[in-house]
Amino acid sequence: MTEMFTSLGTWNWLIFGFVLMALELLAPGVFMFWLGLAALLVGLLSFAIDLSWQTQLLMFAVFAVAAVPLWRRVALSHKSASQSNPFLNKRTDALVGRVFTLEKPIIDGAGTVRIDDTIWRVAGPDAPAGSRVRVVQADGASLTVAAV
Amino acid sequence: MTGFDIFAIAFVLLVIVTLFAGVKTVPQGFDWTIERFGKFTRTLSPGLNIIVPYFDRVGRKMNMMEQVISIPEQEVITKDNATVTVDGVAFFQVFDAAKASYEVSDLNQAIIVLTMTNIRSVMGAMDLDQVLSHRDEINERLLRVVDAAVSPWGIKVNRIEIKDIVPPADLVEAMGRQMKAERVKRADILQAEGQRQSEILRAEGAKQGQILQAEGRKEAAFRDAEARERSAEAEAKATQMVSEAIAKGDVAALNYFIADKYIKAFGQLADSPNQKIVMLPIEAMSILGSLAGIGEIAKATFGESSASAQAAARRGSVPNTGPTPPPFTPRP
Repeated sequence: MTEMFTSLGTWNWLIFGFVLMALELLAPGVFMFWLGLAALLVGLLSFAIDLSWQTQLLMFAVFAVAAVPLWRRVALSHKSASQSNPFLNKRTDALVGRVFTLEKPIIDGAGTVRIDDTIWRVAGPDAPAGSRVRVVQADGASLTVAAV
Repeated sequence: MTGFDIFAIAFVLLVIVTLFAGVKTVPQGFDWTIERFGKFTRTLSPGLNIIVPYFDRVGRKMNMMEQVISIPEQEVITKDNATVTVDGVAFFQVFDAAKASYEVSDLNQAIIVLTMTNIRSVMGAMDLDQVLSHRDEINERLLRVVDAAVSPWGIKVNRIEIKDIVPPADLVEAMGRQMKAERVKRADILQAEGQRQSEILRAEGAKQGQILQAEGRKEAAFRDAEARERSAEAEAKATQMVSEAIAKGDVAALNYFIADKYIKAFGQLADSPNQKIVMLPIEAMSILGSLAGIGEIAKATFGESSASAQAAARRGSVPNTGPTPPPFTPRP
């Protein structure tokens, strides 16, 4: 077994890299893809430069760590570029700017409006029932309104 | 194996484990809480996240999607002491993962128990009929109360629906009978109303008929009277004409008429095949007496003109009997 690995030499890194990438596809969300990339990189480098296997291992670790900030940048730029539905799971954020009619008056800063056939409690300056308010801020389940 | 060899292997393993611990990919629909030394620090939103290994740990993986939990069946006693079995569903969504994770111990259980107790209090304040017919109101009251109660937990209850309200079997049976009786009553009333209507219509028809008949009779009477008037007028006129004619001529002409009629009538009497004995009233004798009058008429007529008759006989002509009286036919 050990002989097999040692006889393969630098090919080990390339094979290891491909296996990691394949694993990534089978178990998405885990970052084996980066480790695979790091392994491939080490393999290519060891073809060019003759390195001891200990050095190769250390280089693999360094590449893997270095990939994190790099990958994060890619992920972040991807996120901001193709966010087609920014309000997914952020229902209240979608309500900001919309105008509703107060169902119950705002007394001492708390009242209710009816939105999408459910009742939302809102905070804002006191206003009588029936007056129109605009949602100015959403923080979790609490909406802040201002008179229109 | 040298120390360096082991170090290299251990380092690589450490790096891999550290990477696993530090890089977190949160799937859409979830928020993960991060605890630093057991204390909540921040929330990870969906996507790639990096936490500090060794210090930070993922606490709770909170589902941020709207969730539905079923409220188990329970028995509720209404205001009028009917025991109904009620179950329902509640829809809620977590808006603040941290509060939902740490402000309440068992979120689902808390919502279920809260809703169940509120179902009891809302339905317990209503009569059975109200409970069965005011589901929307129950839902809304539950929603208001429960939603306000869960707000410290960073969640919002969007909807609470009562699914089934099952009254006890004997009550259902009684309700069925009540409904049937109600329908039968309505049917009976409708039938009676129809009958009444038809009777009224019939009576109205009869009334109308009688009125029309009476009107017809009235009209006929009017016309009869008119006819009688007309005939009387004609009689009067005829009588007048006769009397005028008599006034112009001789009274004897009248006697002639009477005699003529009398004899004709008597002739008919005698002709009657089944009459062998003719009973004549006493007064008839006086009428017979008029025959003498007739004789007198003849005598007077022929006597007065005997000279001229004789003269005429000599000439061989018919004796003059005077002017012919106008024909007289009385109206029937």
